[in-house]
Amino acid sequence: MSSSGGALHPIERALLKALSSSPISSIESLSRNTGLDIDQVRRGVEWLKFKRLVSVNESISAQISLSDSAVKSVESGLPERRLVRAIQEGMTTVDEIVTAGILPKEETNAAVAAAKRNGWIQFGEGGKMTIAKAEESPEERLLKKLRASALDLSTLAEDEKTAYGILAKRPDYVQRKEIKDVRVSLTEAGKSASLSVETDHQDRKLTPAMITSGSWKNVKLSSLDVEAPAPSMFPGRRHPLVDIIEEIKEIFVGLGFEEIAGPIVQSGFWNFDALYIPQDHSAREMQDTFYIKGRTQDILASEKQKAKVAQAHKKGWGSVWNIDEAKRAVLRTHTTPVTLKHLASTNAESGRFFSVGRVFRNEKPSYKHLVEFHQVEGVASAKGLSLRDLIGLQKEFYARMGIKKIKFWPTFFPYTEPSLQSMVYNENLQKWVELFGMGIFRPEVTSQLGIRNPVLAWGGGIERIAMLRYGLDDVRELFSSKLSWLRSVPKCQL
Amino acid sequence: MASERAKVPVINISYSRFRKFLPGVSVEKILEILPYAGLDIEGADGDMIRLEYNPNRPDFSSDYGIIRALRGIMGIETGLPKFKLGRTNLSVVVDSQTRTTRPYIVALVAKGGTLDNNTIKQLIAMQEDLHDGIGRRRKKASIGLHNLDSIRFPVTYSAADPNFSFIPLGESSPTTIRQVLEETATGRQFSRILGHVDRYPVIVDKSGSLLSLPPIINGDETKVDEKTRNLFVEVTATGRKVADDVLAIIAVTLRDAGFDVSSVDIRNGGKTFKSPEMGTTSISVDVTYVNSVLGLHLDARQITSCLKKSRLGALAKGSRIICEIPRYRTDISHPIDIAEEVAIGFGIYNLEPTLPASSSAGTRSAESKYINAIREVLAGLGMLESLNFSLTSFDTEYGLFDRSTLDPLGVEGPKSAEHEFLRDSLIPSLLQSLSRNVHEEYPQKLFEIGKVFHGGSAIRENWAIAAVTAHENASYTEIKAYMQALLNSCFGMSCNTASASSPFFIPGRSASILVDGGVVGSIGEIMPLALEKLKMRVPVSAFEIDLGTLLHLPQ
Repeated sequence: MSSSGGALHPIERALLKALSSSPISSIESLSRNTGLDIDQVRRGVEWLKFKRLVSVNESISAQISLSDSAVKSVESGLPERRLVRAIQEGMTTVDEIVTAGILPKEETNAAVAAAKRNGWIQFGEGGKMTIAKAEESPEERLLKKLRASALDLSTLAEDEKTAYGILAKRPDYVQRKEIKDVRVSLTEAGKSASLSVETDHQDRKLTPAMITSGSWKNVKLSSLDVEAPAPSMFPGRRHPLVDIIEEIKEIFVGLGFEEIAGPIVQSGFWNFDALYIPQDHSAREMQDTFYIKGRTQDILASEKQKAKVAQAHKKGWGSVWNIDEAKRAVLRTHTTPVTLKHLASTNAESGRFFSVGRVFRNEKPSYKHLVEFHQVEGVASAKGLSLRDLIGLQKEFYARMGIKKIKFWPTFFPYTEPSLQSMVYNENLQKWVELFGMGIFRPEVTSQLGIRNPVLAWGGGIERIAMLRYGLDDVRELFSSKLSWLRSVPKCQL
Repeated sequence: MASERAKVPVINISYSRFRKFLPGVSVEKILEILPYAGLDIEGADGDMIRLEYNPNRPDFSSDYGIIRALRGIMGIETGLPKFKLGRTNLSVVVDSQTRTTRPYIVALVAKGGTLDNNTIKQLIAMQEDLHDGIGRRRKKASIGLHNLDSIRFPVTYSAADPNFSFIPLGESSPTTIRQVLEETATGRQFSRILGHVDRYPVIVDKSGSLLSLPPIINGDETKVDEKTRNLFVEVTATGRKVADDVLAIIAVTLRDAGFDVSSVDIRNGGKTFKSPEMGTTSISVDVTYVNSVLGLHLDARQITSCLKKSRLGALAKGSRIICEIPRYRTDISHPIDIAEEVAIGFGIYNLEPTLPASSSAGTRSAESKYINAIREVLAGLGMLESLNFSLTSFDTEYGLFDRSTLDPLGVEGPKSAEHEFLRDSLIPSLLQSLSRNVHEEYPQKLFEIGKVFHGGSAIRENWAIAAVTAHENASYTEIKAYMQALLNSCFGMSCNTASASSPFFIPGRSASILVDGGVVGSIGEIMPLALEKLKMRVPVSAFEIDLGTLLHLPQ
């Protein structure tokens, strides 16, 4: 609704002016006369109606017009007219007319009946037809009128109405439409208001000069169309995936974890060997891992650590540990090397650490797999930590992420034992899907790095959580930088 | 920490088998328990259900193995699975010539079983899974199944030259080893494993008929079908342990399939040993140890009960439990593995969570704080954060501008050219992002914070921040205003820009960014040629700053 009080909106003023020169108008003509669009006229009329300055009458009228298929037959003439023309050219029997192709057989009866009714033909000896008169029939007149324009049924004369009735019986000649007719007219109050519209001056803008000079006291500010749309604006923002990463990081901090970071490029030592993954494990092959062409990476471990790892591999996997394999530079396949190396280097008896970073898998990307994605990993080390503690930390983490329906199933990782996977219920897919992997680091892993307390670890990909939160079907959309998406994702998922 | 993405093995098992061997257990209960035995339900098709199992349980490669485990968990049959090893005096003689390639062979005899359709299917599936898993795609170990009754003993494991002729399995006419290796698909696929040798390992019987050309193919004469009642199974391998591991799994599976398993003698040089090696291992664990790992307070009796449900032998002796591990459980070697078996027998779903207290408060890293500050300031300037990949194609990263002579870091064997080279600048991918949005409203302002990689004597990876503005009035002055605002608001730094050329920017509209006299980045208006290549229609300005240099972050 426009502003309360006396001041009239520019739309209202324009309408009052237009109505004062043509007191009863349709919405369309008001739009034409004022230059406002239909929506603005409708709104303005509602406001004026509320102020009792106009009244609105709705009536329904019937409009008739020629149907598309009729136009053609109107041009060639009604069947009875074609019959008459044929007789004028010398044909006398219906059969002749049909044979000559003037009329199809099924139309002849109707044509003859109409011609008889119009008094155009007479039947003579042997059923031969002759012309009595051939003047224009009322139906033909009406059709001519309709060809020019559609007509309001109420404006037809009596004989035209009869002709319409006859035409309406023929299939597909005329069609009838109900038209709602809205008429806006000024009330008495409206009439006087429209008179003062001319003389009344209003300002659109409050200027600094008006404020400082005090002249604003004498100025009437026009009302604004407060319902009119305003232009779209696109705020800057963090990437929606980063929002989720930040949320996860803050939950970790809330659980007492310290954030750490490490390089993406790792040596095979920290990415695999120190994690008790045998050197001939299939995951280490080029098929699944990105090795950087022609590059090695310093192992950055003490001689003691290297020796212990070599020993663990020999004992556990029965294989001779090859240092060259350990030196190959890889794009980390998980963030575990970062957390593990940190644990090994801090020598703290207890600690909680986490890191989030990109990891790489040599795979074909698809709607659910990326070659490069974000992984989060948390480790907690302290005397006496147990499997139940691991499950407890997990449940707390998920609860803070708003995930309550969660289960834990046993699974296997080469470097943890026992190992579990957390399963979350996906309402859309109606099934349990894997979220994170977790476990207690195997003694072979921790002791070879000089760590004595049990180490709980868990982690997994973050993109999957983002897909669930944002309702995405294709994980690649997270990296598409499509502005239509970035500009429309709400910050809060209510 | 997420699962290794190597292919997860799958096994098909039918509901009717479950009903037969788990009598009185409803299908719902079975489906509920399966995941707690470490089996993921992948899908179902009529009577068949597909399960994913973990590679550390190769005994799950046949439905016999799964049934064996489930009967334990459900208390139908617990403790060590019964296994009686008979004895034959049949022998396999190892010729010294096989020493260089696949030196180890072990074997067994299995008699009196029926090879119905399902059993054959399960054995073949098991053989394939063992080949792929422990066998490392036949490189470490491979298996041959033979009809015992068509073999004349002793069997010899020796080497033959490439012209050796035999009828391969499924063929009717003889062919040579060379032809098989060069002309058949299997031959070509697995011949790499043998390498370049003059003589190839073969297993032949007394009459010279070929049982097998490991790891390629068996001979047709000893083939196995539904009429076969007695089996001879051999495993050749690069190591004794892996050979025994594989054979042990086959032995228990055949026993469960109704065969009587018996040993053969393996004669190697002067030494003889009996095969299969089925002895159990003994591991002793402390009750306290198990409870501390799991967070429980079980007594010895409860622990032994859990272990028996996991089909292990267990005997309480005071505060210790002596566990007997059957030969086929290759995944148990350390007391921690015993603790896990207790957890499985106890039921993971029965573990009540506990929340340990933390001795310290959590913190964010300094790096994170800086990066978040940058994000906040740039968002405050109306810029949208973009995320792009570090691993990209050469064209995208280095082909757009005059940078194709650079020698960037690349990866070996990428599965797609889209992910082959590491980016050394964030600008090209930001421009790509702009080019994907030409139909969206302008102005468009994007930024990215990410790592970039440089070669050199050592690989360097640094955090970088780059921003682009695109609209019909985008200019150097505008982007410089953003850049200054960023450095000032975020870090209280002031900067200078000095003319410097760059392949990214229009000559004369290109500068380096200096803070305290040191170069920290570059700034300028993007070359129109690049815009044209990207089919963009508005000018773009950009800057990029090396955060490591700016903030003296550790490498």
